[in-house]
Amino acid sequence: MTELLIRLLRRPQGFVGVVLLALIVAACLFGPALAPYAPEKIDFLGRFRAPGWQNWLGADQFGRDVLSRLMVGARSTVPLAVIATFAGSAAGAIIGVGSAYLGGRTDEAIMRTNDAVMAIPGLLMALLLVSTLGNGSGNAVIAIAVAFAPGMARVTRSAALNVRNQDYVKAAIARGEGAPWIIFREMLPNVMAPIVIESTIRVSFAVMLFATLSFLGVGAQPPASEWGLMVADARQYMHQAPWGLIAPSAAIALTAIAFNLVGDGLRDALNPKDER
Amino acid sequence: MSLAWFVRRLMLMVYTVIVVSILVFAITQILPADAAQSLLGENATPEALSALRSKLGLGDPTWLQYARWAGHVFTGDFGISMRTSLPVGPEMLMALSRSLLLAVSAILVTLAVAVPLGVVAALRQGRLTDTGVSLIAYLGVSLPEFVTATLFALLLADTLHWLPATGYVSPLENFGDGIRHLVLPVLTVSVILVAHVMRMMRSETLDVLKSDYIRAARLKGLPERTVLFRHALRNALLPVVTIIALDVGYLLGGIIVIEEIFAIPGIGRALMVAITTRDLPSIQAGALIMAATYAVTNTFADMAYAFLDRRIRYD
Amino acid sequence: MTSALSIQDYTLDYVTSAGPVRVLHDISLQIGPGEVLGLVGESGSGKSSLAWALMRHLPGNAREVAGSLRLGDIDLQRLSPRELTRIRGRRLGMVFQDPSTSLNPTLTIGRQITEALIQHRGLKQRDADALAIDLLGHVDLNNPAAIMRRYPHEISGGEKQRVVIATAFGCQPDVILFDEPTTALDVITGARILELFARLRRETGVAALYISHDLALVTRVADRVAVLERGRLVEQAPAADIFRAPRHANTRALVDAVPRPERRLVHDKPRDQVLLAASEIEVQYGSGGLFRDAPPPATKKIGLEIRGGEILGLVGESGSGKSSMARALTGLARFSGKISFDEHEIRGMRDMNAAYRRDVQIIFQHPDSSLNPRHRIDEILSRPLKLYGGQLGDIPSLLDQVRLPASYANRWPHQLSGGEKQRIAIARAFAARPKLVICDEITAPLDVSVQAQIVELLLALREETGTAFLFITHDLNLIRQIAHRIAVMRRGEMVDLLPAEDFDADHVHPYTRELMAASPVPVG
Repeated sequence: MTELLIRLLRRPQGFVGVVLLALIVAACLFGPALAPYAPEKIDFLGRFRAPGWQNWLGADQFGRDVLSRLMVGARSTVPLAVIATFAGSAAGAIIGVGSAYLGGRTDEAIMRTNDAVMAIPGLLMALLLVSTLGNGSGNAVIAIAVAFAPGMARVTRSAALNVRNQDYVKAAIARGEGAPWIIFREMLPNVMAPIVIESTIRVSFAVMLFATLSFLGVGAQPPASEWGLMVADARQYMHQAPWGLIAPSAAIALTAIAFNLVGDGLRDALNPKDER
Repeated sequence: MSLAWFVRRLMLMVYTVIVVSILVFAITQILPADAAQSLLGENATPEALSALRSKLGLGDPTWLQYARWAGHVFTGDFGISMRTSLPVGPEMLMALSRSLLLAVSAILVTLAVAVPLGVVAALRQGRLTDTGVSLIAYLGVSLPEFVTATLFALLLADTLHWLPATGYVSPLENFGDGIRHLVLPVLTVSVILVAHVMRMMRSETLDVLKSDYIRAARLKGLPERTVLFRHALRNALLPVVTIIALDVGYLLGGIIVIEEIFAIPGIGRALMVAITTRDLPSIQAGALIMAATYAVTNTFADMAYAFLDRRIRYD
Repeated sequence: MTSALSIQDYTLDYVTSAGPVRVLHDISLQIGPGEVLGLVGESGSGKSSLAWALMRHLPGNAREVAGSLRLGDIDLQRLSPRELTRIRGRRLGMVFQDPSTSLNPTLTIGRQITEALIQHRGLKQRDADALAIDLLGHVDLNNPAAIMRRYPHEISGGEKQRVVIATAFGCQPDVILFDEPTTALDVITGARILELFARLRRETGVAALYISHDLALVTRVADRVAVLERGRLVEQAPAADIFRAPRHANTRALVDAVPRPERRLVHDKPRDQVLLAASEIEVQYGSGGLFRDAPPPATKKIGLEIRGGEILGLVGESGSGKSSMARALTGLARFSGKISFDEHEIRGMRDMNAAYRRDVQIIFQHPDSSLNPRHRIDEILSRPLKLYGGQLGDIPSLLDQVRLPASYANRWPHQLSGGEKQRIAIARAFAARPKLVICDEITAPLDVSVQAQIVELLLALREETGTAFLFITHDLNLIRQIAHRIAVMRRGEMVDLLPAEDFDADHVHPYTRELMAASPVPVG
């Protein structure tokens, strides 16, 4: 594990990514404790205050401190995106590996259907599900997981097929190893790497999708300080307080970039042959 | 590329549309425990609820409900909007045409910008141009549409007053004004598309440049220009068709947000309105049309690609 | 008389993160006009680097430390990019190893030849087309005009290589570099290409640098041979002499490693009792779909017998079905037919019980993919022990058996060389104490000297354990050294099954004779 971290940090992408990620995790864990003000604290005197020593990132239309809302909002935005991605990846992995293992016509049928489901764009799928299940963060997570599953199924299946064709799997079959051994000890360790990389990069999409749903009013609900919600709120007051808009936008972007970078970095670090 | 392949590909498209229709129907009409309740809300009277239930045929077995709906759709009847009481079909298709204008413009912009940039970045790999291009691409992929849209609106409309912030004017009525209203939405959608396509083109071009046949062409004594244009670019540009087709899916999703923000009366906006007003027939029609558009586009892209790449043997 | 190509004291480094690595030390070679110099070396000898250096296509981290490279009067190192373009193809041509990847898949054959002719011989398109057809006919391609219009994937490997050769010769250069041009081709196709090369060379008098890892092959085509060992030139001699009287120790080792049928390595006889008898084995990959027909079967109802302790060779070119046979026997491919092993009858994968799977082991061709990259060596070796009864404590002795140090148990596959990985695969197979080991082209990707070591190891193990072998290979000379009997396969059928000593006889199948002619024994 530590060896992996070292290899990840060796490249500039990996390094920047890990640093950003650490900041985000810190914000999620300690945000509410470290925030200078309570995120709901209304201060009518400080409405639209520009960034300065009192409010480092300025204040919004209710005088709430933007920085504090941002730090607390990390908790509403990031962990849920991670959970959604994890759930979607798990579901997709089961479908993908199962399809690859079954092979033949069954595999083809499953994949064609999988591709058909992907004809519904992710955002649309999420919107349809949320409109049925009801608004709110929890349902948004389910919706995103379902939207991601088909894409992950594709990635997993191609990785699994690739591994299944390797000679070491054939050697195991020829030896008479049982199916559980072959799937879990021979195939899975080699399939995990592409799955982990793809999932990490997808978290960045999940963060953006989650924020978009909140922006459209169907994800997190006020008064949560979810970042997408903050952007939606701040739009009306763009002229008076642009910082209310820029700060959460930057936070979303940086989070997406962080996961992207770590995902790319993992791609290099997880390659066992890369001994440089 | 034989007729059999053509037929198979078309059948696949039909299968895709059917699966999508089942899925859309299932999510919107079957999944809710009581569709009538969720449509009318909490304050609905029992009479209104039972009237709606019988109107929608909610008492019937699932497959019958679906068959009825699918049968109507097949003949072009998408039902009556619960909000406007007008037929859904014509309205949606009109909206689709406006969205297509937006989408096609975005794709054209993307092709014009991203393809050359991606190729140039690959040619100047490791140098400043490449790093710059890659950074922009990274940034583009990490910003959700609503962020980009809002920031662009902030800059170009509110601050600099170059462009109108929202609204739509049909270019058929007033070309200049119509274009002015389209610039911001197209720009916003293009940002992520350009970032994505640029990255793919760069990676494709790099792969081609490293290939054995490019090396062989150079060592045959062909001038660099010939190697680039006759050998390299030809192969690097081949997948553009596929890349764009994949992005149409993203495009259609992003259009929902863009049309919301910029108040463009396209299919995305129509869907959002339908969802917030719980207009079931409109939701079903809008979702189906969107997904069908994606399926059709993909099919054409596959066919175009098969025509262009002679290596693929289709039998 | 100026040499066509002159390399003097040439020294080349590659700069890596671990510092500069010297790949060529003080190389001095001359090729006279019309002369063919063979350059032989195993992997890592630097022979390809020399070719790239001559074509001025070195990687970015290459540093030319000393020496000169001259093509006739031209100092290659001082050429500007534009001058270089004029030299390449026109004065110095190149023929690459893999014709499938060195032709552009989206341009017609005709285009790819004529563009070179137009560039270097100043022809108009129409004249270039005519000349191209002429050249293609001259390299023995049927219906050249039709081939001009085809794309690379529509013609075979041998045909593609002829196209590449025609292009190179068509530009009438002074020197042509050949980088292992027959390695990617089948034995018989490769032999034809060599014949073609010999003829063209006689006709045109072009000088050539012929690079290869195969010493035996090079002595057939070259006038003189130079041997490269880890970047150093260890010997240069006329081709006829190098086999007969190698002077340097390395060359001698190389010469000794080349398989020669008359040098028999196995002297005993197999036991009488039949270990495995297979009959009517048909392997079919893929079934027909709605719109397409099923592909032809990979093996067409063939059978063979292996006696206890016997080495049965299975020879054929690619597509002959030999690997499919191996897969059928180990339950990796679906087959119809019957196998009887140890009085046990097997009609399909399901009948293969644990005893069968222990007694019949397989070793694969590619060491890189036959060991799970995420398992350490000790884990890899522990599996057969766990499955077939053995102690984990046996692992050091398994490693010792294949002449690897016990410390290797803690290593990962990517830390081992190709030959070492193959030894692990052998250790894994022998851990089961099998009665039959199937070797599926296990030495094909290895250097000749490593191949000799592996073969020696296998024979030593056979001495200890009395195991029988089904040895699959395309190298007829190798198998004639070790097998008791040899089966020859072609397109799914077995055309010959003979004792090894009968291979010179008159009654062999014409195909077998063709195979033998394609891999002649080197003189020496």
